[in-house]
Amino acid sequence: MNNERLKYGGRVIYMEGVVVDVDDCSISVDLKGRLGFFKAPKRMFICDTEPKVGQEFGWNMSFPEQLGPEVNDKYVSNIEKERRKQEEMRKRLDNKED
Amino acid sequence: MSITAETAKAHAHDPAVLCCRAEAGITIEPANLEDPAIFDDLVDSGLLNLDGCLTIEEVLGAKLTKTCDSLAPLTADVLDGVKAPSTPAAEEAPAEAEEAPAAAAAPVAAPAAGGILKIHIGEGKDIDLQIPVGALGGGAAAVEVPAAAVPAAAGAAAPEAEAEEKVVRSLTRKHFNITEVKRGPETKIEGTTLTIREGIEADVIADQELVKDFHLEIITPDKYHTYSETIMDVQPIAAKEGDSEIGEGVTRVLDGVVMMLTGVDEGGVQIGEFGSSEGYLDENIMWGRPGCPDKGEIFIKGNIVVQEKTNMERRGPMAAHTAFDIITQEIREVMKKLDDSLVTETQELKQVRRPHKKKVVIVKEIMGQGAMHDNFILPVEPVGVLGARANVDLGNVPVCVSPLEVLDGCIHALTCIGPASKEMSRHYWREPLVLEALHDEEVDLCGVVFVGSPQINAEKFYVSRRVGHTVEMMDADGAFVTTEGFGNNHIDFASHIEQIGMRGIPVVGMSYCAVQGALVVGNKYMQYMVDNNKSESGIENEVLGCNTLCPEDAVRALAMLKTAMAGEEVKAAEKKWNPNVKSTNVELIEGAYGKKLELVENEQSLPMSQKRKEKYD
Repeated sequence: MNNERLKYGGRVIYMEGVVVDVDDCSISVDLKGRLGFFKAPKRMFICDTEPKVGQEFGWNMSFPEQLGPEVNDKYVSNIEKERRKQEEMRKRLDNKED
Repeated sequence: MSITAETAKAHAHDPAVLCCRAEAGITIEPANLEDPAIFDDLVDSGLLNLDGCLTIEEVLGAKLTKTCDSLAPLTADVLDGVKAPSTPAAEEAPAEAEEAPAAAAAPVAAPAAGGILKIHIGEGKDIDLQIPVGALGGGAAAVEVPAAAVPAAAGAAAPEAEAEEKVVRSLTRKHFNITEVKRGPETKIEGTTLTIREGIEADVIADQELVKDFHLEIITPDKYHTYSETIMDVQPIAAKEGDSEIGEGVTRVLDGVVMMLTGVDEGGVQIGEFGSSEGYLDENIMWGRPGCPDKGEIFIKGNIVVQEKTNMERRGPMAAHTAFDIITQEIREVMKKLDDSLVTETQELKQVRRPHKKKVVIVKEIMGQGAMHDNFILPVEPVGVLGARANVDLGNVPVCVSPLEVLDGCIHALTCIGPASKEMSRHYWREPLVLEALHDEEVDLCGVVFVGSPQINAEKFYVSRRVGHTVEMMDADGAFVTTEGFGNNHIDFASHIEQIGMRGIPVVGMSYCAVQGALVVGNKYMQYMVDNNKSESGIENEVLGCNTLCPEDAVRALAMLKTAMAGEEVKAAEKKWNPNVKSTNVELIEGAYGKKLELVENEQSLPMSQKRKEKYD
């Protein structure tokens, strides 16, 4: 199991959140109590009825723990490329609109 | 919570633990005992220690000599009149031999002690006892009955059945080899060179309103170390010959080259659930998986740019796939005119029915929650778009297809979920379970059922009931239920298995589970499960196709279904994921069939990250 690297992995907390956006692929949730926001694929949500903005969801989660001080250059490189590309494309889009 | 007499019987050889406080002097009944199903958690958390604990069958009817608190394990020192344990022969011996029917040559008849069958009924009426005859002949007999039955049946029926083996239809694949792909004034194939028309990009862009830009790249093996956006799909290039339809007649296919689709929206955001297989191609692809490219193949890689913010809408990915098919279709048109002299290999796939063998059906659950959780079913051309219906539009209801339709590209996968466990279009073209079951002379594969996985639970149960009835009316003797990815689709996956299982049909379930994909729910029919995991630590490792169904999984699933159909017991899995279960089963299969099963490699075979670091810019 990978969670052996967690020191506080057993600390499971019940959380609630409010759906703020639903698209064809994902659901976005604001965590109650100003604790953040997350967006995840629809397939990771369990719904008895059609998911809608304003509905509340509950789940168990824990504290994300740093797995180590190392920075994985692969991810840095990907993120940097992604950022540059998005900037470039955004510029092009802005020029098109002008 | 106390248990019933039935549960006590089912768990006769499990530890006996009091469910609530019991006074000295009482006689132990099922109602005093806790359900063994919860013990694993209690033992894990240190609340329960089962050392020296007697089994349920031993303690029933015994007298408690000391007052005990709830959750106290019953040991010999607090009981009077403990029964002698019967050897659970009929259960354990075949359980060890998971693939017992195949192991006919070497029946694992452990010298099981013939236990004493004691039936004592104090009071009662209308009691029917049904005990298999074999079970009364001692443990060894119980093992041999199923084991011996199979070779006898196989031996006697083989010549007869072979004679009756019926070829329903056949599909011919004509292979054309491509060694070079280049751009030129027109799309054509000359010898082994495929030329793609320059300026075809404009046609792709013009085809769909949502498509704003498009780039075509030809990736030859020397360019494998190139950065790429998230891979949405990998597709074979194939065309039907003449008037033949998907699943029959002649299909022409190009070897050595595949179509690969990637895409972003105008804001530069990836199409495809949430990115994460972007990076260097050679570090992100598990080569040779059924759905993936093979090492050495040339990729015709198209990067589509769709209208801003449509990357997460259904119409975005649909437009990308539809527009990209313009190129494939142009190649298909050229392929249809190719001279037969260029054919390098002809392969005939036969749909064979074996009426006297166990009839099995494959139920493949595909994503159907929307957007890139969708699939086009039954296009006119293999893995095409024209003529196909999206399974979301069909309401995700079961669609029955022939095994040859699957292998002829009846699924154009829009699925762009977690890279490691998604089944891309090419996966169906080389679907290992369909191929394995079709070629297995011991089973009669009657067909394949595709069923979508809707988002909402009510719809999930709606479709799974349809699956149950579909399989029931097929009179199948056994079924496979497979699914791609993981998440809420495991709810209907479990429900499909339940719906089939409750009709008395043994079901083998196949999915990526391991650590991250651990099943959300379970039911009593989910006894025969095969995990598609290949990753070292059991996670979604972001490597394309790594945890998808491979031939080794198909072989395991078939062996397990045959075991189940023969009425043998399959040992329950451990509570936590343990990769050794797979290796033990593989060894058992190798022993039984007498052939070596080559296991595929996992992400550990790809370039290691330390080396990779130096290469990054």
